[in-house]
Amino acid sequence: MIEMIKVSRTYDPNITALSDISFSIETGEMFFLIGRSGAGKTTLLKLICNMEIPSNGLIEVAGYNINTLRGKDLAHLRQKIGVAYQDFKLLSDRTVAENVAIAMEVSYKKPRAIRHRVKDLLEQLQLADKHDILTGELSRGEQQRVALARSVANSPRLILVDEPTGNLDASTTQRVMDLLTRSNKAGATIVIATHDASIYQQSNHRIMELRDGKIHSLTKRNQ
Amino acid sequence: MNFWFAVFRQVGRNLRQTWASQFMTFLTVSLSVLIFAFFYLIYTNMLGTGDRLSDDLRLIVYLEDEPGPQMQEQLRRKIKNFDDVEKITFVSKEEAYDRFSKKLGNDSDVLADMPKDFLPASIEVVPLKTLRGYNQIKLFSEYLANLPGTEKVQYGQEWVERFYYFTRLLTIVVLLSGTLLILTATFMVAYTIRLTILGRQDELELLKLVGATNSYIRTPFLIEGILQGFMGSIIGLFALYGLFQWISAHFAGPGLLNLFHFSFFPPIVIVLIILSSISLCSIGSYTSIRKFLRI
Repeated sequence: MIEMIKVSRTYDPNITALSDISFSIETGEMFFLIGRSGAGKTTLLKLICNMEIPSNGLIEVAGYNINTLRGKDLAHLRQKIGVAYQDFKLLSDRTVAENVAIAMEVSYKKPRAIRHRVKDLLEQLQLADKHDILTGELSRGEQQRVALARSVANSPRLILVDEPTGNLDASTTQRVMDLLTRSNKAGATIVIATHDASIYQQSNHRIMELRDGKIHSLTKRNQ
Repeated sequence: MNFWFAVFRQVGRNLRQTWASQFMTFLTVSLSVLIFAFFYLIYTNMLGTGDRLSDDLRLIVYLEDEPGPQMQEQLRRKIKNFDDVEKITFVSKEEAYDRFSKKLGNDSDVLADMPKDFLPASIEVVPLKTLRGYNQIKLFSEYLANLPGTEKVQYGQEWVERFYYFTRLLTIVVLLSGTLLILTATFMVAYTIRLTILGRQDELELLKLVGATNSYIRTPFLIEGILQGFMGSIIGLFALYGLFQWISAHFAGPGLLNLFHFSFFPPIVIVLIILSSISLCSIGSYTSIRKFLRI
């Protein structure tokens, strides 16, 4: 699903965020990306979804060189990638339901299917009572769950999640992980960037640790 | 959900969220169309009046002596040498007297003591409809003035001259006001769309990230421009029609307007004004989209 070959990302003036990153993620895999703040986790996710362009190297997603895609091709690929950003990227003047629905609207899903899916996701994340509340009025934990609901709403083939449990208590963290696990079992490839050890320590999924923009360790498959 | 449903819902959202600036732009477009169409309406009516007046245009060449048949033929040939004409009529001194007497009607007895040949003989020349420009008429009258035996040529010079300069001035006013108002409307629409785009940068970025196509993001802005152009021109023309009706009702009768046969635009001109307004506003919108909506 994802192939990275010698990918580097530098920012002006000469700040290296990522250096020589090479790895691949299989379709249907759940993959943890760990490391301290500033290790390069968020930059890596942004490169995968083409929010940023690498300074060097090749990134392939679903068989496409994502940095050469333009226009409709890029839009269609992005419809298959769900992203829960660390800063949530919610529209504060829209309701919770409208924020979740936006991912499905761009791929012209039927309004009835959108309503049904939104309601179902909000129930799974204990946000059913917030359906018509503006996201600007929610707590950070609630906003985080809305962002997560939006990322899985369109049933994407690839889900990128940046610090999904940063503002959540233990029981809500478990609900979020359950939702992601269900999506993974339904066939989605999941990449989770986190420094919350509780969500990856007990799992048997692969973990890649970044330190100072380089791969420090990468566990093997089926380990 | 299909593309157009999504686009029109987005247009509805934009209009709700930025209604104040949208309303100002709509007013500007309406006023621009109203002002331009007002001058254009006067201009077209003046041209119509000019055409009607020129239909009645005839040059009267007063002669020193009454020409005999040979001389008449010679004069006819010389006149046609300049240009073919619609009609040439020789009016003898007696015919002139009779016409004058008829015009006086009940007062014709004032001519009782006058000899029947006291009025000069003349030639009435009706030029072709192709010879209607002020300069052409002037040249033709100068030519006629140099014909042998000509005393004077009359064709209402002062009136024709004033009318000609007035329509020229009006042409300049229409062109200038048109250009300025076109620029204003286009700029205002471009500026409103730009404000909308800047105010919704977060949403546009998110739409891009969740996989919205360029047309999904851009089309609503283009439709806003089209709507501004359409609604603005409709209201502008509607206001002009109201003004036209008011003027017609209040200034009807034996006044100036009766002379001018004041009439409103024919349907084709109305459609053209609406289409022009839509095109200009779309151009303004498209320019902003191209400049500020980098996808």
